[in-house]
Amino acid sequence: MIFEVAIGNRVRTVGIVRKGAMLHVDLDGRPHIVDARRVNDSMVSMLVQLDGARATSRSVDAAFAAQPTAGDFDVHLDGLTIPVQIRPAGSVGRQKKDGPASPPAGPQRVVAPMPGKVVRVLVKAGDLVRARQGLVVVEAMKMENELRAARDGRVRDVAAAEGQSVDAGALLLIVE
Amino acid sequence: MKKILIANRGEIAVRVIRACRDMGIATAAVYSECDRAALHVRLADEAWPVGPSAPRESYLRIDAIIDAAKKAGADAVHPGYGFLAENEDFAAACRDAGLTFIGPSPEAIALMGSKTAARQAAIKAGVPVVPGTEEPLGDRESDAEVQKVAERVGYPLMLKAVAGGGGKGMRMVASPADLASALRAARSEAQSAFGDGAVYLERRIMSPRHIEVQLLGDHHGTVLPFVERECSIQRRHQKVVEESPSLAVSPELRRRMTAAAASVAKAVGYTNAGTIEFLLDERGSFYFLEMNTRLQVEHPITEMVTGVDLVQWQIRIARGERLDLDPEALLTPKAHAIECRIYAEDPDNGFLPSPGRIQGLRVPHGPGVRDDSGAYEGGDVPIFYDPMISKLITWGDTREHAMQRMRRALAEYQVRGIRTTIPFFQWLLEDADFKAARFDTGFIDRKLGKDPAGHGEPPRAPMQAIDATHEDLAAIAAAVHLFTKPIMNGVAAPAASRWRDAGRTEALR
Repeated sequence: MIFEVAIGNRVRTVGIVRKGAMLHVDLDGRPHIVDARRVNDSMVSMLVQLDGARATSRSVDAAFAAQPTAGDFDVHLDGLTIPVQIRPAGSVGRQKKDGPASPPAGPQRVVAPMPGKVVRVLVKAGDLVRARQGLVVVEAMKMENELRAARDGRVRDVAAAEGQSVDAGALLLIVE
Repeated sequence: MKKILIANRGEIAVRVIRACRDMGIATAAVYSECDRAALHVRLADEAWPVGPSAPRESYLRIDAIIDAAKKAGADAVHPGYGFLAENEDFAAACRDAGLTFIGPSPEAIALMGSKTAARQAAIKAGVPVVPGTEEPLGDRESDAEVQKVAERVGYPLMLKAVAGGGGKGMRMVASPADLASALRAARSEAQSAFGDGAVYLERRIMSPRHIEVQLLGDHHGTVLPFVERECSIQRRHQKVVEESPSLAVSPELRRRMTAAAASVAKAVGYTNAGTIEFLLDERGSFYFLEMNTRLQVEHPITEMVTGVDLVQWQIRIARGERLDLDPEALLTPKAHAIECRIYAEDPDNGFLPSPGRIQGLRVPHGPGVRDDSGAYEGGDVPIFYDPMISKLITWGDTREHAMQRMRRALAEYQVRGIRTTIPFFQWLLEDADFKAARFDTGFIDRKLGKDPAGHGEPPRAPMQAIDATHEDLAAIAAAVHLFTKPIMNGVAAPAASRWRDAGRTEALR
């Protein structure tokens, strides 16, 4: 599952996969291993091995306060209050990211970034789409997330249907 | 005394309830509409409504509060601080209703409530006052007459409201040319804030410290002073950090200041808890400023350095008991204590008020830490009252020890959902001048770069030192939070049905 996290003027990309008891977290290309335990609904205790190095375990006690806008949180850790905006990948304005994002080569597999419901399918098979054009809107945790085309192309294999519930990683459509 | 009605709200109402519990005395709370579920209501033995949320319609209603005390069958009333605490009519109304007012007499409140009368009392007691006018300057005094008086006092000078407090009706006048406009402004501000436009003049003491002396007086002629409190850390004339003892006060100066404070209180037959405020100049001369005829917000630091429960003693004095404390012990600090007033304000956004729901609360604990609070998780900070939600007090063997504990406690303190001044205190505790106790009453306003004329605060670096690593960790934490949130565990029926409902709505279109 991939998130984009905006703090101040910078957007970070955070990918998470579970491997056994650990979460493998990729933060802008740097791998970290996190042992995460939920304390309750709004607190998480994390033991973080920064850069995956076992020698540098750091205990991070994090607590969260939701702000009125969905996806906006105050993260409390180390005595600090850090406002963040978090969205599933693809739904944060790319212009905020440092440097131009180079589109990946090959067909773009558009997948659900998190479990949720397909609210709208904005394109149909055979449509020509331009980079950053909206393709599918997936809703989860009261957040609507528009998934966009990474570059110009033609829509193929629309697997998503409006109203359908999907799991994280489910293929929605392909742009080539 | 079997039952005390507490005519207040917030942390101070909770503080008084605790003192009553410690003494086996029953408590009756009062509450306004928005305070029905406030902590002081939940902790009290009983609670009575006194009106709508606006203070004027509830906590300031003398008749409603006396009525509640009668219904509750209380035999005494504790006013806390603020609201009706320094209102002589309220103290008199309690007396007339046969209720013991836990505080000074209405006469003492009235006398010391007038700044010019209080100055005269200090002069009679042989205590130095800031050079200035002894008589109030009413509206009839012409500008020319005030100009003449001002020449005698000397420039720069301060124009102050006779009925003043909290920095209202106060103007600094640098030269004769500024006097007329400052006089107009101070008079109109005093008129609207206190219903009394009378002002007086004081010479401006350069770079003063604000030092105050806590007193207790019983009904048998004993008045005892305590170790001084240092209250120079003020923002817009409001104290935000206090400590005891003051690094600027030697044992010899302490002896003179506390003796002077006690003599003023004795001269007016003062009883119960009160505080004499002094200005201390750079040469070590001190001047009587005013007397507060109530318990102070910052009373806990005195409690932590002397071991005396001041609220309990207020009650014991009101019951007619004798002050049998060792006077020497009260002047010998056993520790160094610091208090930070935690406000629901955003320090990185011009100290904008930040009322709302407290989604989560983690209160610091451990050695040398005390939290006097009216807040709880799930509770609301209403828009109607003072934004102070708690007072964090730490103490240790030395000032450094107390400050290190304050840093630790502030880092543990989490108030989630609203913004608070915790980052401001973290920033202040890293300031080199604060660490060295090099400050005066203008310290914070200068550090915040406030325009001396009072035109707002220029943009400045955020108070929180958030580095890239903390941002990285916050990004990871936020992602882990969403990734591990237990919403998809099959039992999350509400979410599922919300989708179904949405689907049906969609189908009906």
